[in-house]
Amino acid sequence: MLHEITLTVNGDQYAIAVRSHQTLLQVLREELGITSPKRGCENGECGACTVLMDGLPVNSCMVLAPEADGTVIETAEGLSVDGNLHPLQQAFIDHNAVQCGFCTPGMLMSSKALLDRSPHPSEDEIRYALVGNLCRCTGYVRIVAAVAAVAERE
Amino acid sequence: MQPFDYYRPKTFAEAFELLTRPDRTAVAIAGGTDVIPQTRDGIRRPDLVVDIKGLPGIRDLVVTSMAPCCGTGPDECLYVGAAVRMNEIARSNIVQDHWPILADAAASVGSEQIRNRATIGGNICTASPAADSAPALYVLDASVLIKGPRGEDRCLPITQFFTGPKRNALKRGEIVAGLLIPRPPAGTLSYHEKLSRRKAGDLSIVSVAVMAFVSAGNTAWRVALGAVGPTPVRAPESEAILAKRHDAEAIDRAAASAYGCCNPIGDIRSGLEYRQAMVVNLTRKAIRAVVAQLPQA
Repeated sequence: MLHEITLTVNGDQYAIAVRSHQTLLQVLREELGITSPKRGCENGECGACTVLMDGLPVNSCMVLAPEADGTVIETAEGLSVDGNLHPLQQAFIDHNAVQCGFCTPGMLMSSKALLDRSPHPSEDEIRYALVGNLCRCTGYVRIVAAVAAVAERE
Repeated sequence: MQPFDYYRPKTFAEAFELLTRPDRTAVAIAGGTDVIPQTRDGIRRPDLVVDIKGLPGIRDLVVTSMAPCCGTGPDECLYVGAAVRMNEIARSNIVQDHWPILADAAASVGSEQIRNRATIGGNICTASPAADSAPALYVLDASVLIKGPRGEDRCLPITQFFTGPKRNALKRGEIVAGLLIPRPPAGTLSYHEKLSRRKAGDLSIVSVAVMAFVSAGNTAWRVALGAVGPTPVRAPESEAILAKRHDAEAIDRAAASAYGCCNPIGDIRSGLEYRQAMVVNLTRKAIRAVVAQLPQA
């Protein structure tokens, strides 16, 4: 079954036809070519597919494409402005918070949502906000430090 | 994922018609955090997915005394529409102020991403014995407002809604519209704890909710546990022991007798013996935490 949906991704409006059983993740990656959200566990455990939907982090592998009709989606592609990295992106680089990089777009989006909601979180709050984003490389310490550095600066 | 058709009805009549189509395998979906992975894994094979999030009132989170199921007195109830998301409950000021144990339970669900999609209606309809909202709903004496294709609303105490592992009391075509949760008496004390392999982002090994309030000079107690049997349970024997006394010896007996209400299994999250021990330990810890808050007599 086809659905005509409209959605805004990183400020750009799209009107596309999606099938009932497609996920938002598939539409972003395969229809729109927006590939920072990653297909990981497809079970809501790893968070590699995290995007912001109307400002809130969600697992895009568990949102049906027709459910995304009329929503505003943000991905890591939309973080930088005029070629300038978002403070979180720069902090991830500065703190060596990226190793293989597979989790990074999801980590960035969860971290952005946290700082949008709570500009000065404690370390516990940062860790709680990132529970749904798994990283198998870094051990998390550098990721938490990167987020904390941005939180202190702002 | 196998193909299916997706509809988002705007009326209950439309939803009932979709859910009862004779030649279709229909499933209602709210947050989708259970149904979508189950469908992808082939555990469910729906050919019709009915998104209930567009139904009237289904996303309301309001205090009311006018709703059906609110029942026992003139006191106010919290109405939580079935499609209200866990984070909306956890972050609601009114829930935090007057139903804090429900806010705690909602905050214990999964991860930030899951709580932004998962709904309270979905949590109870999946009817996992480990449903994170269940022990809190059990001690709060919540009722489930169910709408059915024949046009009759019915109210079911939450304890009767869970009928077995992944089994609920819904009949074909019925939809949970919401939950009605009486406002606990002023001065009610409560404690909720979920034990899991990780501090967060995991299913529970055992979870417990304890609530106490002073009524006619006596302290009334409610104790409920999750992930300890085919359904969540209340522990009436423990409640009766505590109603008489809550000294150290009575707390030990109440915690030990909670085990009598449980019928746990060993699984991937915990061996049987550990889970058995944790039923008693977690119950004792929760009761102590409430006793510590009680005004000194």
